[in-house]
Amino acid sequence: MAYHKITLTVNGEAEQVDVSSNMTLLRMLREKMGKTGTKNGCAAGECGACTVMVDGEPVNSCMMLAIECDGKEIVTVEGLADNGHLAPIQEAIIDSGGVQCGFCTPGILIASQALLDRNPNPSQAEIQEALVGNLCRCTGYVRIIEAVQAAAKMV
Amino acid sequence: MLDPHPSLPEFDYIKPKTLAEASQFLADHAGEARPLLGGTDIFVRMRDGFWKDQYLVDVKGLDGTNEISFDPAKGLTIGAGVSMNRVSAHPDVKVHYAVLAEAVDSVASYQLRSRATIVGNICNASPAGDTIGACILLGGVLNVHGLDGKRQEPLSTFFKGPGSTVLKAGDVVVSIELPLPPKGLQGTYLKLGRNKSSDLSIVGVTAIGYPDADTVSGYRVKVALASVAPTPLVVDKVEEIMAAKPITEDVIAEAAEAAFETASPIDDVRGGAKYRKLMSRNLSKKALTVVWEKLGR
Amino acid sequence: MTTEIKERIPSPIGESKPRLENDQKVTGAAIFADDIQFGNSLLYARIMHSPHPHALIKSIDTSKAEALPGVKAVVTGADFPGYLGLYLQDRHIFCRDRVRYVGDPVLGVAATSEEIAVKALDLIDVEYEVLEPVLNAEEGAKPDAPLIHPDLGNYKVANFIFPQPGTNISNHFKLRKGDVDGAWEKCSTIVERKFWVPHIQHVPIEPHTAIAQWDETGEITLWASSQSPFAQRNLLAQALGVSQSSVRVIAPKIGGGFGCKAGISMEALVVAIASKTNGRPVKLLLTREEEFHTAFVRQELIAYYKMGCDENGKILAMENTYYWGGGASTEYGVNVTRAAGYSCTGPYEVPNVKADSLCVYTNHPVGGAYRGFGMPEMHTGLEQCVDELAYKAGIDPVDIRSINCVKEGCETVTGFKMHPTGLSQCIEETAKAIQWGQKSPASAPNKRRGKGTAIMWKAPAMPPNAGSSAWVELAEDGTVNVGLGGQDLGQGAFTVMAQMAAAALGVPYESVRISSPVDTRYSPYEWQTVASRLTWSMGNAVVAAATDARRQVLDLVSEAWDEDPEDLDIRDGIVVSYKSEQEQPIKDIVVYGLPKPDDQGWLGGPIIGRGKFMPSYVTGLDAETGQGTRSVVHYTTGSQSVEVEVDLDTGCVEVLRGVSAFDVGRAINPALVEAQIEGGFVQGMSSALFEEMIMVDGFMQNPSFVDYRIATTTDAPSDLQSIIVEVPQDDGPWGARGIGEHPMVPTVAAIANAIYDAVGIRMMSPPFSAEKVYLAMLEAGIVE
Repeated sequence: MAYHKITLTVNGEAEQVDVSSNMTLLRMLREKMGKTGTKNGCAAGECGACTVMVDGEPVNSCMMLAIECDGKEIVTVEGLADNGHLAPIQEAIIDSGGVQCGFCTPGILIASQALLDRNPNPSQAEIQEALVGNLCRCTGYVRIIEAVQAAAKMV
Repeated sequence: MLDPHPSLPEFDYIKPKTLAEASQFLADHAGEARPLLGGTDIFVRMRDGFWKDQYLVDVKGLDGTNEISFDPAKGLTIGAGVSMNRVSAHPDVKVHYAVLAEAVDSVASYQLRSRATIVGNICNASPAGDTIGACILLGGVLNVHGLDGKRQEPLSTFFKGPGSTVLKAGDVVVSIELPLPPKGLQGTYLKLGRNKSSDLSIVGVTAIGYPDADTVSGYRVKVALASVAPTPLVVDKVEEIMAAKPITEDVIAEAAEAAFETASPIDDVRGGAKYRKLMSRNLSKKALTVVWEKLGR
Repeated sequence: MTTEIKERIPSPIGESKPRLENDQKVTGAAIFADDIQFGNSLLYARIMHSPHPHALIKSIDTSKAEALPGVKAVVTGADFPGYLGLYLQDRHIFCRDRVRYVGDPVLGVAATSEEIAVKALDLIDVEYEVLEPVLNAEEGAKPDAPLIHPDLGNYKVANFIFPQPGTNISNHFKLRKGDVDGAWEKCSTIVERKFWVPHIQHVPIEPHTAIAQWDETGEITLWASSQSPFAQRNLLAQALGVSQSSVRVIAPKIGGGFGCKAGISMEALVVAIASKTNGRPVKLLLTREEEFHTAFVRQELIAYYKMGCDENGKILAMENTYYWGGGASTEYGVNVTRAAGYSCTGPYEVPNVKADSLCVYTNHPVGGAYRGFGMPEMHTGLEQCVDELAYKAGIDPVDIRSINCVKEGCETVTGFKMHPTGLSQCIEETAKAIQWGQKSPASAPNKRRGKGTAIMWKAPAMPPNAGSSAWVELAEDGTVNVGLGGQDLGQGAFTVMAQMAAAALGVPYESVRISSPVDTRYSPYEWQTVASRLTWSMGNAVVAAATDARRQVLDLVSEAWDEDPEDLDIRDGIVVSYKSEQEQPIKDIVVYGLPKPDDQGWLGGPIIGRGKFMPSYVTGLDAETGQGTRSVVHYTTGSQSVEVEVDLDTGCVEVLRGVSAFDVGRAINPALVEAQIEGGFVQGMSSALFEEMIMVDGFMQNPSFVDYRIATTTDAPSDLQSIIVEVPQDDGPWGARGIGEHPMVPTVAAIANAIYDAVGIRMMSPPFSAEKVYLAMLEAGIVE
């Protein structure tokens, strides 16, 4: 199996890394870069726990090859806060009580931030649709949706 | 599928520089190489061990695969590598091909649609493919690059069975063309899943309609069904019935009955054949009513 | 609130403090088991699973796999004769002679990469002799059914579990009260029904993860996504025949449990494999598919109900038979069936009861603890029968519940006097909130609306003497470190414990830390994080430890200041004297002590408070009648009302509104209580509408999120109301009872009752999928 050298930006920092053909973006982040905030929940693009932004668009990082990220900009949950200041969506999900076990939280935060980036004032239905690929077993979703609404008002 | 691979099995990633190179490689490695677009189906099937390809040939970014463009004289061209989200967000798609956008937005989740592509959806040839009905009814034609160069494949004759198409080793679908829509086109995609959204369809119904002076009813109306036959199913009887007499609720019911008769679903884990057949009728009726109302009733 | 009560309930009890670990969880800094870094000595394990529901293992050839470069260990059951099990020791770590379900672990491989481990499994040949499987609990209970555990009579078992050797019945709980046969003729209305509740699964978003290491001295360390580090230490030590002090379990953050990470399952596999890797750590991370195939599942239930009432709606008799499909091992599940036995009537006072709750082995995945521990399954049919009884008797469904529900002082089904409970108030509250009796118009002509109510009870199901312990340590700056052994699964246990410690000690909430992760080498003992028992049981231990620390501080100050301890208090981290009006921050006291009153030397020293709690009053129950003085510690009760809309075109059921009221005794943190109620409601709703492990001939047909659907953002109703009722528990901290599991107990029945109200059909088996509802409406002639 071939290995490839790629360069990319992760949370604003330029990186160079050797990856095998079959290495997913998820595995590269977790195993090669220590970015373990991005979670592996199904490895099949169904649960959303591994959601990261690639060039501003949310993707399931288990469903993208690392090599396909050559030259791209990645943002993970570790990159949401700015110099220790939590992003509005992070503040909002704490305030609303939308965090329980916290395993789906990183993916939910990234998917929510991506939604707010493309639609700063989403309706409840738009929030629900944007997060339909992020499974949460703890919260019942109500407070997560409230958090996105609150974050939209904060920005 | 007791024990799928924990991540992805080993394969080699191939990035050809030209379509010709891609076709040659795929032909040289027939049966062990596959074109890679969004990967959202390929990766799942390779994890499951259902596909065991040695090579994935990334054709994104090759000539024309990454562009989406609308020509007011000719219509829409969607590159094979264009993500569903790009299609759905395209201003001309929203205006001229709204039914396609509606179908696209029903697929899985937003983050999956960042990767998934319409051409991928078509090439997988799943009877459940949500976007296929709209592409067929809108007269879609695929631009294919093969060993012998470029050719076109109309969608109407593209599908041979579940997962099976007319494509041959070495073929790379470069883009799909949708001609200019008929004036006054209206449409809808109704999808029934096990939960409200993000599921695969138990039944999916695409319906379109537009004014047509050559029919008795004054309209040309068509329906395509997903998940009720081995291939995406266009119900020709619906078009005949909806053309032959002025549209009323009874005529719509008759057309829906034709959908019921034509559907030949199977029992699977997502739904039983009996229910699917009944839903082919009920959702066709609903979809036809929506289109009729949009056309001004 | 009067000042008197305020005085009794110190801050921050009753305040919605933010979750302690919020910042870590929103920044990606929170460490879950798979996030721990082990360096390049780490090995990766993969497991070979049985492809047959029931078979004998004839031979295993591992030679080719062992020769594969990168393979460091191949481990089979041959090396591990010990048994595992919480209440009934009926399973080996790896199968030895027999496989009992599709997914049963046959052997394990450790290699330098996952890819090599996968390849190694492909090189191993296992020969099986296929046996006839048992696929249904009721069939499996018959005397001529194929035997799944011929050695049942030899297994070690808890003294309140009653296996029947020579059958597939691993527990038979009998309840006999009053005269059932004589009561039927006094009933003016009788309902008889059969229900089937299929296997479902917990679906934590974090799959089971464990890393094990045996060092050269035989010390075993296990890092696991675990609800039960201490139970795992105990069970592992027993199964491996090693000392408890040689086993160390570390439990980092856990991405949801719901019962499936309680007891022990895959953790034992990786520990066994690590015994052969010369000290190298081994990681096993279940795939989502393995999670479905091989982790604990909820038992299935085939239930027969018969109940009758008089003209006034008073329930006179019940006769219930529960066949629980326990799966291939019932080591944990036997106690689910016991809980369903001693709670068999639901939250009703019924004078005449006959019930049999049978735990039956089947060749299905292993049943275990699942949020609600048998109660959601049992209430699914029971609460529909009560509803039907009301309609048949011409009594309002809410009224029949108010008439018959348990109240303080009444005799429960096992003969114990019911403690104070707010169930009647819960019923009133939910009926009021849902506007019971008023039909609201449907959103479209082809839709029908309906409302439904169901009530519930549930006791912590555990051994009678499950214990908790805690310590409270003060640092030089006056901050407080609380040691405990229970897990924060996301329910907020650590936050609530910090609130209790702050309140009991008299320090600001912000100065309290929880010593985590839980590590059995350093943390105090806790039985398990299950049974909704932490707030109550671990809470009592933490309060005791904090009170002990407080007493030590005040004794010291009393001596140093020469004052009566009764005149001293700790408020906001400052020791104050109400008499002399002296003040001193505890930070100046708790480590270095205080000078003696004559200044000639020092008093005190580092302060560590200790506390424990173990209920001492639960008694045994008669094996033939299920009667006894006190069957359980207490019952949490509650009520749910829902409004649904049924689509006549598709059969789709949409839950529009959910109203819940639960008596939690005292809400230590109301926001966290509400979060449990909301999350539990949606999990219950998901099991009502979508979830089922579709089993065909012992094979699960839908082992992925593609086909095992759970509720998503678009399915959850946005109108969820949580009503907190507080009738204090005499032995709970500030009166608190648990609430973790209860919110999903009545949900399936409430939704079923609402569907009945909407379209007049009774759904006997969840999930109430659009297809099932449509076909039922078709059969009833409601649709064409």
